[in-house]
Amino acid sequence: MKRGLYSAPAVVAVSLSLLAGSAASAEDSFYATAAAPYKGTTIRVLDEITPLQETLSKIVPEFEKETGIKVEWELLNHFEVINKGQADMLSGRGYYDAVMLHGFQVGPMLSAGAIKPIDDMVKDSKLNNPKLDTADFIPGPYKSLAFANGKQLGFINWNYNQVYWARADLLNNQEEQAAFKAKYGYDLAPAKTIEQMRDIAEFFTRKKGEKLAGKPLESDFYGIVLEGIKGGSTFGTLWRDFIKNYGGDIMDAEGHPTFDRPENIEALKMWAALWKFAPPGIAEYSLVDVPTVMGKGIAAQTLAWSDFVLGVDKPGVSPYAGQFVYAPIPVKAGVTTPRSAEAEPSITIITAGSKHPEATFLFLEWLVDKKQQEKLIELGQGGVPVRETSWAVPAIKSSSNPTLYAAMKSTLDVGTAKPRMPKFYEIYDQLSGIAQEVGLGKLSPEEGAKKGQAEMLKLCDKCLL
Amino acid sequence: MTNVGEAVPLSVSAAQPSARERIWYPYLLIAPSMLTLTVVSLIPFLYTVYLSVHAAKFGRVTDFVGADNYITLLTDARFWNSVGTAVIFVAIAVPIEFMLGLVGALILNQNVRGRSILIPLLFMPTMMAPIVVGLLWKIMLAGSWGLISYNVLERFHLIGQTSIFASSDLALYALIFVDIWQWTPFMMLAFFAGLQALPLGPYRAAAVDGANSVQVFFNITLPMLMPLLVVIGLLRFIDAFKVFDTVYILTGGGPGIATETPSILANKMTFEFWNIGEASALAVLVWIAFFAFCNVFYQIAKKRLNAF
Repeated sequence: MKRGLYSAPAVVAVSLSLLAGSAASAEDSFYATAAAPYKGTTIRVLDEITPLQETLSKIVPEFEKETGIKVEWELLNHFEVINKGQADMLSGRGYYDAVMLHGFQVGPMLSAGAIKPIDDMVKDSKLNNPKLDTADFIPGPYKSLAFANGKQLGFINWNYNQVYWARADLLNNQEEQAAFKAKYGYDLAPAKTIEQMRDIAEFFTRKKGEKLAGKPLESDFYGIVLEGIKGGSTFGTLWRDFIKNYGGDIMDAEGHPTFDRPENIEALKMWAALWKFAPPGIAEYSLVDVPTVMGKGIAAQTLAWSDFVLGVDKPGVSPYAGQFVYAPIPVKAGVTTPRSAEAEPSITIITAGSKHPEATFLFLEWLVDKKQQEKLIELGQGGVPVRETSWAVPAIKSSSNPTLYAAMKSTLDVGTAKPRMPKFYEIYDQLSGIAQEVGLGKLSPEEGAKKGQAEMLKLCDKCLL
Repeated sequence: MTNVGEAVPLSVSAAQPSARERIWYPYLLIAPSMLTLTVVSLIPFLYTVYLSVHAAKFGRVTDFVGADNYITLLTDARFWNSVGTAVIFVAIAVPIEFMLGLVGALILNQNVRGRSILIPLLFMPTMMAPIVVGLLWKIMLAGSWGLISYNVLERFHLIGQTSIFASSDLALYALIFVDIWQWTPFMMLAFFAGLQALPLGPYRAAAVDGANSVQVFFNITLPMLMPLLVVIGLLRFIDAFKVFDTVYILTGGGPGIATETPSILANKMTFEFWNIGEASALAVLVWIAFFAFCNVFYQIAKKRLNAF
């Protein structure tokens, strides 16, 4: 018998697709309905330019089409988005309705009263999408970032995170593996501990003319590259990838500075030791330079921001694309305190001076909606999830680079926003200067710890908001 | 009808301004420029003074704090470090630029062949935007791959395993070198223009008297050129003390605070720490220092060097 169109499985399939379709249109219509009073409004949003936002910019016009709210979507580089965004927020002019803030900016901006909490809008049934499913946001970054003093500041937009990044072709080279085992007594593999990372750094640091993976080097090769510029995220790396994994911290639970504790000194010693195996220009390297150095193939390993990896580890960008391996941030062997990994969850907030907070709120909801997040990851053929369910999106689950996503997940499992410190910038400026001076050998780790403690105490006795 | 040669009584109001008009007329003429100066210069300066005596953090001006911002700044080692850095910068860069500029101008003044091509070429560094100068030298001196650092300094083991701009010992001197590279041609061409404008009479008289070139330089050229030398030197001094752009691009004040000048510190205080009260106090202090210095310099130049 010829199987007809109306056979039972076909009916079920069609019915299911109709149901799914109607559910989707119901969800879609929430934003269209909620935005009706704001149709024709123009909102200005400032965000950072990374491969993630470039992909997102392709989706934003769909919001305009769906709601009739026009979005002027401005993307600036890391440093500009901080300066320009903060300048506008602090002026109170409200040129921008929404500004992307890195986690570390939230403390100073909160203490300046430059952020508009969204609690009223979350409670407003006309504005709050009941299907937003905030419980699906990766909890550590979301909870530590989006709430302060009992108020909600926004959702979570970007889950920037650091991962361990190494040259798989070198780590898998049999000749190198044998030499490494002969020297250190254990197998060459992506570092799980900070000590292993040091050994790998030492092992692969070679001069021009020496052999690397059987071939003579045309220029010097370095065992590690780290961010070393004053400012940027240099101190974040030292603090949350090293100091905290050594069991130390820069302050106690009440916010009293503790920079001179013994664990911190040990971490600073390791930090200084690693700089000896890094390129001479390390003190000038920013978070942009580190992936560039890795992409050019002049260093064996690093700790870097995973969103930059997405822009480097792809054919046509780096000659070593596909030859990298990623792993969780290495920890200190034998330390029992919870492991730590540097992450910088970032949030798009509504500015206190915004003239269109409701329309902006709808846009922020729409951005973090499951549908948009999935589309963002599919369009970018990968990405950095802010939702747990995004790990199951095919572009991530079937990625050709599974170690990268496993490393990202590992970081985001423990990653949090930075503690809220009104004097974050002053503290960070001092401590990143010390990180640089210790790395360069201008200060001993003990002197660096002592100086850091003194500088912190000058700025604040209780440093938390 | 009036005959030719007959005195014609002119209307007083048309020909000669009244006493009252004589007083106001010059003020009327300079009023537009004074008004512009007041708006673009004096008001912001007065507002800076106002901010410097108030608590102004994160763009919000709150309590009057008197001299607190000044005291905080004057007791801050970082402020004095920035002043010290600027003093070293100026003390090395400006005299070298001055001397090289003067020597170069004297050579150019000797009718050297190809001068019309040489002068525009010499002026190129000065014409470049500071960001271009910064990027150019960043590429030349970048650690491990820079054109000069790799091909010269590393190849001949002149600096060892370090990057110049990342070295606390070398970064400031590298910045001074860049400043000399950029501004010596300006000094040279300004002095050359001055030399070209000197009257020939005294030189002819000196030649008749049998004066040698050293005597001519010290007794004729230098005294006649002195007003220009003083003005250009002073302008360069002020400009070098305020150096910001190349430092910002090349080192950002680092490593640590090794190259942090008052301008870099003020920028950091304003746009990173948003501590506008203290940053304003810093600006006022630098202004007072310049005001005092320029006055002393002016008196010396006037009385001892007959420059004005």
